Amino acid sequence: MASIARPVLLRQAAAVSRLSAAPAGPSVLLKNTARVAAFHATSRRNLLPPLPQKVEGSVNDPVRVPPPNPAHGSYHWTFERLVGASLVPLTLTPFAAGSLNPGMDAVLMGLIVIHSHLGFQNIIIDYLPKRRTPKSRKAAMWGLNLATALVALGLYEFETTDVGVTEAIKRIWHA
Amino acid sequence: MASLRSSTSRILGSARPSLRFASSQVRAFASVSDLSKEASQNQSKTNLSDGAKASNTASGDKPRMKTFQIYRWNPENPTEKPRMQSYTLDLNKTGPMVLDALIRVKNELDPTLTFRRSCREGICGSCAMNINGTNTLACLCRIPAEDSHDMKIYPLPHTYVVKDLVPDLTLFYKQYKSIKPYLQRDTPSPDGKEYRQSKADRRKLDGLYECILCACCSTSCPSYWWNSEEYLGPAILLQSYRWLADSRDERHEERKQALNNEMNLYRCHTILNCTRTCPKGLNPGLAIAEIKKEMAFSA
Repeated sequence: MASIARPVLLRQAAAVSRLSAAPAGPSVLLKNTARVAAFHATSRRNLLPPLPQKVEGSVNDPVRVPPPNPAHGSYHWTFERLVGASLVPLTLTPFAAGSLNPGMDAVLMGLIVIHSHLGFQNIIIDYLPKRRTPKSRKAAMWGLNLATALVALGLYEFETTDVGVTEAIKRIWHA
Repeated sequence: MASLRSSTSRILGSARPSLRFASSQVRAFASVSDLSKEASQNQSKTNLSDGAKASNTASGDKPRMKTFQIYRWNPENPTEKPRMQSYTLDLNKTGPMVLDALIRVKNELDPTLTFRRSCREGICGSCAMNINGTNTLACLCRIPAEDSHDMKIYPLPHTYVVKDLVPDLTLFYKQYKSIKPYLQRDTPSPDGKEYRQSKADRRKLDGLYECILCACCSTSCPSYWWNSEEYLGPAILLQSYRWLADSRDERHEERKQALNNEMNLYRCHTILNCTRTCPKGLNPGLAIAEIKKEMAFSA
């Protein structure tokens, strides 16, 4: 516990002071320590250290092939790309035309919400592997759903009762 | 941490007359690894062996000394942390490639150094390792003669290390097996001879069949680092595409279905480290993009 509480910098400084008491010239060591200490300014902590290796089945068995699932595979990917691609003209139009009508504004906001939701989902899938961190994965996914719902609700309110996002940006943008 | 930082370059294989008696057994140098103990003593007189070697070069050329820092870890001492060990070689007496240097280190300086190698010409893919931060084949990687920096050699990143520079590729081969990398066909050829294909169809396999499965690309892919249990990785997907693109194969749909899920294929985010690192100059990123394109509107 003590080693966690005490940052690496302190430990190295302590090591240097111990060594400098010795007669052998520690100048190079001191320089090296200073360099490394500067590089690792914060204490190093092992986030998710690797688990021991586990081979499922024998070494000659192929890995398991998951059942086909286009909703999370090819359809999902295609949908993601279509949403992303359609956002490009939609974001450029207000700059060219001055503003968007409320309908197109709502479509743009809806697509942005979907786009960011899918993007965050990808991040969670990448960084919180289901095998490694099942609980954090679930919590992050539900947190994301909640955040997306909140944002969608907020944007809906803004679109229906206020001026709409493109118009709002136009009013505050004095470039 | 200190063990991973080479604070001194070791004096190895020194031919200084005063040391010759003590170093009559070359094997004795294998045990020279206690960096921390002798670090302070050797700090002031680093690379004394350079000068000593200069007077003893047989060819009379100016010696070109190069230090190789090599990752060492011995499974027999599992509690010991991995460390970097330095070996200094005269490039005049060494072949041009990193593998030549490694073989020379193993032959002359330290027989305990462990690495895989076989063909020494980039065909077998055994000597894949991380050299100066790039995954490549040691036999295809030249030792840069001009620059005097140390060369740092590690095993392939994010692999379980068996010993020193030998990574464990069990999962990689298990994944390769899962894509059924062989011709699957039910109908016999019309004339009872071999399955033929047109020149155009054969040309589709160029850039795919050359892959030697050295795992350089897969282990350079961040997505594979994070999700190697489920994501297949660029090397296996390139092979997958090699069988998808083969006009003689009749399991096209099944092969596509095997990839059509969340993890196997679609964890590729087009980072393109694979294409950048491939020692054979292939393009796994393009192959994966072709698979995605082909699957875009298929169920």
